[in-house]
Amino acid sequence: MTTPTPRVLMQSTATKGEVFRVKTIISHQMETGLRHDAQDRVIPRKIINRFVCRYGGVEVFSVDLHEAVSANPYIEFYLRATESGPLEFVWQEDGGGSYRLETQLAVA
Amino acid sequence: MGLTRREVLMVGGVGSAALATAFFSAGGACAQDEIAEFVKRHTGRTATESDRLHLTMPAVFPTGYTVPMDLNVDSPMTEDDYVKRIRVFAPQNPLIDVASFNFGPRRSMARVSTRIRLAKPQNVVAVAEMSDGALLMTKTWVDVATNGCI
Repeated sequence: MTTPTPRVLMQSTATKGEVFRVKTIISHQMETGLRHDAQDRVIPRKIINRFVCRYGGVEVFSVDLHEAVSANPYIEFYLRATESGPLEFVWQEDGGGSYRLETQLAVA
Repeated sequence: MGLTRREVLMVGGVGSAALATAFFSAGGACAQDEIAEFVKRHTGRTATESDRLHLTMPAVFPTGYTVPMDLNVDSPMTEDDYVKRIRVFAPQNPLIDVASFNFGPRRSMARVSTRIRLAKPQNVVAVAEMSDGALLMTKTWVDVATNGCI
């Protein structure tokens, strides 16, 4: 499996009070633990089990993902611009791995 | 059996519309009860069917691997009135939990899109927990052609 790569697409500026869309995706197998290999052994579960978005250090949106979220989980959500600050995105994987991205939003 | 082909066709012609109506309304009520029961079993509470909660998915989709799902709740998202959490279930999947989306007041909107796996045609169920404690639910039928859970 290749290393999961997270990506975030959103605008970098906003007016105060504006609602803006955030598109996120991470390349990830999302192995459900329901499949078997050629020797009929269960392929162990390995999924992104949690996604968190923090805005200015405060958690504003999160997702608990289960096996039924598709491979390469795509999550699109909406936030309201209240002040300039960093947006931090964290994807947590089974087994303790995590992937992180940060972007800046300038609010006029 | 003393029935001729003609008699069968005549009875069929007259009765089919009524039969179809009876069958579908009974099926609908049954599915309704089953889903209410399902939600009660998995959340421990009775949810109210609500048109404030919108679960948009294609009615028919060629593959069960990546079925688009869009959730939207009519809510002002203020400190006094916001959506805390939306849980999504696929009752006919081998593992019924799909995802749980957590929101906060003021800075997040109760709107999210993602892609999910479905094992077979089924009603997908969304349950929203509101800040005042209310539990709202909705469902939508999705017909998938292939199993996305293997």
